[in-house]
Amino acid sequence: MNKLFPFVFFLSMAIQVFASIDTIAVDVGISVFKTMPIGVVPFTEPSGTSLDWPDEKPHEVAERDLNLSGRFEIISVPKFDLVKLSRARAKFYVTGKIEKALNNKIKIDCFLYATQSKDLILAESYTVSLMDFRKAVHQFIDKVIYQLWGVHGVASTKLAWVSKIDGVKQIVVADYDGFHRRQLTFDSTISMMPVWSHDNERIIFVSFRNNKPQLYIKDVATGTQKRLFKKFEQTFSPAVNPKTGEILFSAISGGKTDLYVGDPETQQSRRLSFLKSSQTSPSWSPNSSEIIFTSDRGGSPQIYVMNSDGTDMRRMTFMGRYNERASWAPTGDRIVYTSMDDGKMNIYTCAIDGSDIVQLTSNSGNNERPSWSPDGMLIAFSSNRSGSNQIYIMRRDGSNVTRITQGGDNTAPTWSWYPIENQTKQKEGKE
Amino acid sequence: MKSIYALLIAGCVVIGLTACSKKKEPVVDPVVKETPAEAVAPEQSKVNEDSLAALERERLEAERLEAARKKLQEMMDRLMSEDVYFDFDRSELTEEAKTLLIQVGEVLNQEPRFTITVEGHTDARGTEDYNLTLGSARSTKVKEFLSAYGIAAERMETISFGEEKPKQAGESEEAFAKNRRANFRVNVK
Repeated sequence: MNKLFPFVFFLSMAIQVFASIDTIAVDVGISVFKTMPIGVVPFTEPSGTSLDWPDEKPHEVAERDLNLSGRFEIISVPKFDLVKLSRARAKFYVTGKIEKALNNKIKIDCFLYATQSKDLILAESYTVSLMDFRKAVHQFIDKVIYQLWGVHGVASTKLAWVSKIDGVKQIVVADYDGFHRRQLTFDSTISMMPVWSHDNERIIFVSFRNNKPQLYIKDVATGTQKRLFKKFEQTFSPAVNPKTGEILFSAISGGKTDLYVGDPETQQSRRLSFLKSSQTSPSWSPNSSEIIFTSDRGGSPQIYVMNSDGTDMRRMTFMGRYNERASWAPTGDRIVYTSMDDGKMNIYTCAIDGSDIVQLTSNSGNNERPSWSPDGMLIAFSSNRSGSNQIYIMRRDGSNVTRITQGGDNTAPTWSWYPIENQTKQKEGKE
Repeated sequence: MKSIYALLIAGCVVIGLTACSKKKEPVVDPVVKETPAEAVAPEQSKVNEDSLAALERERLEAERLEAARKKLQEMMDRLMSEDVYFDFDRSELTEEAKTLLIQVGEVLNQEPRFTITVEGHTDARGTEDYNLTLGSARSTKVKEFLSAYGIAAERMETISFGEEKPKQAGESEEAFAKNRRANFRVNVK
């Protein structure tokens, strides 16, 4: 028996090794990303009067932003505490001061301090109405992230998604944390698949108002809208070019679905794929030189990549029978996509050559429609893990899953772009 | 002289009335057009007999139209209640589907005024995007089959609804199977 033991042991090891090749070995929800500890101290409020904060207090908004950013570990202290902050290795802390201002407004001073030296690293002052204070805190946290990480944060960005209102799918827009939600479409027919125009001022979406799927573009502020690419009867799956604002989309023509690229201003479009199979769900690479998309040419939906002129097509996913809706990280290094296994949808990422597959969600209902944050740090998605469809945000490694919608039925989130000024700044920084 | 005028006026009124009634009749049946010509031929002495005969003819005609309309409605209802079912993630027609489509083709052959819209659907599994392409592939397969059966392609339109219009709610395999379908909407030319 003693002699046999090592043999049995090695045999079982070998079996395990083979087993792990067959399945995708993953650690779900364990972060491999190194976060930075940061202290948050409640903002001082004017003495005597208490302010009626709408949802959360300013330091709570700051904590939420810092946590959602995926970059920090929050060290929350009721007041400045050198020992506690130092022990938690929080080299910096955020705090602020609230004062009453004229015309029913408040003045929010926000500070970023170095814990040990108490040096003031960053200070911003905002005078806003009480209803708009979240916006001020979002802006400050984005400045903190730029200060400490050298990249723009996403606390001031927005999300669009599909919400069932009175049983009908409508497009809604909101702050990225789910607050300040606003309904954008009011049709009696289905609206879905929202994406943001390059200037974040309009939403491109699919409407069934003519009893077939057709692309529309609607101004978020004014509500004016028009149909896009009218020469096609059925259009869907819009994707906006990160450089030019051109729109990639699927159109059904002659009984098959193919990819087209068009200009929303001139309405001109040209065909990109010429296969016998159906192509859908296109997405641009960050420099818009390549396109990833789904094709069923191999008999089941798989992800392919090609140059943006339609040449040099090659297959990217080989694992599993159903891989769909790939989307290229703004950082360029990873692809996020949805895979169906045993009837359940889950979110995966892989390297741009299809290798290094990581499963981000598992054993928690259907998880679908991943959308990258503009900094490539986070992924918004919808899941029915709670029993109803809701929107979640997680870190790009699948950790730090945070639900941002509560009631109702919410699906298909799409992250806005950086504000135009940050888009150019980021570009200048690289050059 | 006055009586001739009166007759003429009466004649005009009859023409006018029949013209009106012609408008009200359903345009669907071409036979209807012949009736006014017969009705407008009143002769002085036979007015009573003729009007009685005309009434009788109208009654028969109305009955015949009603029967035709009923038959048409039945055919339309039959077409619209027939769904073609598919296997998961497949757009190929099953043997059952083909048998059904031959019957559909037969109805379309009998009634050349029918044009149809073939709506393709999927079950709730999978992405909305891919399901729109799958719904399109299903409706296209149906159209191609009917086309091969001899139905003119111009009489058939295809639309994909993807997973957006399930026939049966729920996550059961039974509901999924019911929702993987193509159905027909009928328009009369």
